[in-house]
Amino acid sequence: MQLSRKIRFRPPRLRLVSRHWLGLALLLALTLAFIFPILWMLSTSFQAGEKMFQLTTEWIPSEWHPENYPNALSRAAFAQYFLNSGIVSVAVMVGNIVFGTLAGYGLAKFRFPGDRFVLLAILSTLMLPLEVTLVPTFLVVHHFGWLNTYQGIIGPLLIDAFGIFLMRQSILSIPSDYIEAARMDGAGELRILWQIIVPQCLPALAVLAIFSFRDSWDQFLWPLTIVSVDRMRTYPLGLVQFGEDYGNPPTEQMAIAVLATIPVFLLFWLLQRGVNRGFGLSGLK
Amino acid sequence: MGATKTDANGGHGPTRRDIIRTIGAAGLGAATAAPLTRRAFAQAKPPMNLSLWTFENPQQRPWLHKRIRMFMEQNPNVKVDFQWFTFGDLGKKISVGFATGTAPEGFVSQDWFMPTWLDKALLAPLDVQRLGYSSVNAFTDDFASAFVKGAVHDGKAYGFPMWFYGFCNYINTNHFKEVGLDPEKDWPKTWDQFGEVAKRLTIKDGSRFKRQGFKFAMHAAQWTMIQFNPILITHGGQWFDASGKCAINNEAGVKAMTARASLARQYGAEDPADSIATNPLPQMDWLKERCSMFWCHPIPPAAITSQNPKMQSDHYYRPVQYCGVETGKGISTSYGFNLVINAQAPKDKQEVLHDLYKFIMSDLVDCWKETAPLTLARKSGWTDHSTVKDFPYVNEVLRAKDEGVFLPRTVVYNELADATHRGVQKIMLNNADIKATLDEIAAEVDRASTAYKKG
Amino acid sequence: MTRTSTIGGPPLSSVAAARTARPFWRLHYSRRIQLVGVAFVLPTILFFVVFKYGPMVWAVELSFTSYDMVSTPRWTALENYRSLAVDPVFRESLWVTAVYIAGSTILITLVGLGLALAVNTAVPGARYCMGAMFLTNLMPVIAVCLVWRFLLHPYGLVNQLLAPLGVGRVDWLTDSRTAMPAIIVVTVWRFAPYFMMVFLAGLLAIPKDYYEAAHMDGAHALHRFRHITLPLLMPIIFFVIVVSALLSARIFLMPYIITGGGPGNATRVLSMLIYETGFSYMKMGRAAAISVVLFAIMMVFTFLQMRIFMKREQF
Repeated sequence: MQLSRKIRFRPPRLRLVSRHWLGLALLLALTLAFIFPILWMLSTSFQAGEKMFQLTTEWIPSEWHPENYPNALSRAAFAQYFLNSGIVSVAVMVGNIVFGTLAGYGLAKFRFPGDRFVLLAILSTLMLPLEVTLVPTFLVVHHFGWLNTYQGIIGPLLIDAFGIFLMRQSILSIPSDYIEAARMDGAGELRILWQIIVPQCLPALAVLAIFSFRDSWDQFLWPLTIVSVDRMRTYPLGLVQFGEDYGNPPTEQMAIAVLATIPVFLLFWLLQRGVNRGFGLSGLK
Repeated sequence: MGATKTDANGGHGPTRRDIIRTIGAAGLGAATAAPLTRRAFAQAKPPMNLSLWTFENPQQRPWLHKRIRMFMEQNPNVKVDFQWFTFGDLGKKISVGFATGTAPEGFVSQDWFMPTWLDKALLAPLDVQRLGYSSVNAFTDDFASAFVKGAVHDGKAYGFPMWFYGFCNYINTNHFKEVGLDPEKDWPKTWDQFGEVAKRLTIKDGSRFKRQGFKFAMHAAQWTMIQFNPILITHGGQWFDASGKCAINNEAGVKAMTARASLARQYGAEDPADSIATNPLPQMDWLKERCSMFWCHPIPPAAITSQNPKMQSDHYYRPVQYCGVETGKGISTSYGFNLVINAQAPKDKQEVLHDLYKFIMSDLVDCWKETAPLTLARKSGWTDHSTVKDFPYVNEVLRAKDEGVFLPRTVVYNELADATHRGVQKIMLNNADIKATLDEIAAEVDRASTAYKKG
Repeated sequence: MTRTSTIGGPPLSSVAAARTARPFWRLHYSRRIQLVGVAFVLPTILFFVVFKYGPMVWAVELSFTSYDMVSTPRWTALENYRSLAVDPVFRESLWVTAVYIAGSTILITLVGLGLALAVNTAVPGARYCMGAMFLTNLMPVIAVCLVWRFLLHPYGLVNQLLAPLGVGRVDWLTDSRTAMPAIIVVTVWRFAPYFMMVFLAGLLAIPKDYYEAAHMDGAHALHRFRHITLPLLMPIIFFVIVVSALLSARIFLMPYIITGGGPGNATRVLSMLIYETGFSYMKMGRAAAISVVLFAIMMVFTFLQMRIFMKREQF
């Protein structure tokens, strides 16, 4: 497909080499300023418990305590918690991709009475915080009998307006001629969607995938409300509870935090090229 | 539509009409999956599922779990779904449960929430005979009157007091000796002494505190209440006056709050900004010997060993009583937890819960062995045992429990706690004016009370 | 565009025929396309009705009642709103939220743009720096809160790093003057890299010829920025402002875990007040009223932005 070919913007080569190094130094300083908390978290997770409260920072641990990780995991059913979070997040990611694309396509390439109103209505869902619809949403989910189930946690998170807007924006830029031509050739609507639309918005799908996964992976308040049995807890609930128990070294809490960070970073690494293109950044060196 | 909360008693309790109407309304309002009521059979043993919720605590919760497992072994037809939540979350989860008809059949209620559950008629009255007492009087006699006051209402018991403890002043005896004080005799008994002793114990390095003489825990509203409550009472103050208006800002209240703030402001013995919200344990600073005195619930030896093994093995700490306005009149807060039953639970499940509760409470010496020194509310059945008597300084802990003063019993407890907590933060962290802040607290609580009365 | 009918069927172009009920494949083409569009959107609409609009309407209805979650709601009309208007805690929270939204939005926009400009230089390895900075946006928010709570401790890493600059000890999270700025810093830290990517895309889309032409005309960098870059980035800037404002209005977890709303009410944003009012004080009606207020503010704000924004480009 022609549109999938990368478009490269090449900025003019700068003549002065020293500008390169200055720019690089500045950029590295900025980068360091942003990622030092992540590095600190990583470093602290290998420290002994007391080091946390000596309040002098030792970036490279003088003594390594990798046993923080298995110790932390054994203090509560973290394997189960992470599994639950994983199942929920994957399901939400898939739901967002599927329904975001369907609705995004419908709103981008179809005109029907009330489409502007629908767009506005979907936008409005971004503006109501979960805290107040918490009890009514809980009642709805309970009505379906989904308390303490995966579908109960997934339910309200399955489709988010952000994804719909993202896909709509991406699909808008696909020339309608392709679609019309396919229709003339007698292609079914779903086939058009699958074979023409989807391949052209893969970058946007990558962006949607990573963000919907991350948002669901981060969820705290909703699982806190809907889950009342230990085996269905997600890891944020476990992490907060961990910090409130006696004798749990905070460095072990950092170890769990590091483990929680890995899946999201991993997913990003896998989708990175797609995400960059999804943002429109394929021209970056 | 809806029940109003005022009645002839001026809002001090629901009328029978209110209770019945509320129960009916709550029943109607509950979501579809309401459990069916079954007839109670005393002899037949059909299979039964119960749910019991409590708060997480490394000593108490495993012991409770053990007793429940033992009960299930003895009663194979009963299956108890035992769940626990963080201390702060338990109340919320139960509220949401009641709101949606999914509350557990039995749970452990923090005693300061009893007025709320009782006012909304959410708890079932207990059959004290099934719990092993011949009458309600026998029941109330087995506990300090202050404990059962929160659990007994209209001549009926609604809660089975389980753990109740008082705060003690835990002192680091090594530090005392270092500065030339005798930990057995020189521990502070009045407020002035307290400030002086704390000042002496403080070590500073320029403007940075290396060791604080004393620390108030400031991480949670509940701790603020527990710590400030006795200060207020011993200074002659009160939370509410006779008409129900919040009285924290009267003269006595100002004196009490000034005393509380004096440690940092006057004596320079405390750094309120340090360690707020970063400590997983409120007593972490004391365990790490960054402060010499700390007010706390009875601290289990295991907690000390986990953070500072030397302190436990060499035993250089001890609990002493709170200081008071006059020597020997120091009291702390006494607070605790009741086993309660959901009023909406079916009758047969309620009966089995009685049996479960009776079983749980039937071996308190065993409880002490695993949860010492967290004291139990009941008078009988454990204090005479040698294991209890041999515990170091157990008398201090028992005295704090028995002589302690109670947290205010009010239906707007959460609002009161939050307002006080925020006010204390303003005073201690931002140097706010004490009287003005207390006025704000009182105003906020009064607004909440008025709103509650309106229903 | 009309389609001729299949063999044996009535001609579709007649008006009478178009009005009678007919199977889908014989409908007028444009009508059919409309229905397909509706069909694509319908599952989402149904989902939102069940999980968003239904609860939203219920919440608005609740805001006119007093509901303690155990008894049935009692109609109180505008009483909740009236009592909120005179409640100093609510007003303080409103102010705190406004400061938070404004501060976060402005800083996120500026920092995001700045980062994008920094990354957009022809420096080798810029892509890796960009990827590394983006990680802050991916880190689980719970981990973010826990880590920053330690970093902002009076004796924590941030103060240690600032000490050589002559900054004495700052009680970031316990001084009411610095608590909200600290939360804003954490918010900006988390979100600016995301918007950096958005800005970067916009910067890359600006044709290089514009810059070259301006350069040949003698315009220096600042001039080029003001007259080429900025105007062409305007739509994106508006997008960033709207989205970051919407994001910060909803934020709950960061103030909740890092400062708990304190000290005093210095970081008690509206979403926290809603949660406490509803679940600690069991006043769901009042909590619903607060969120209706929040919702109304965001709607007005978004409307204004959209009106300006929509004039420039198809949304």
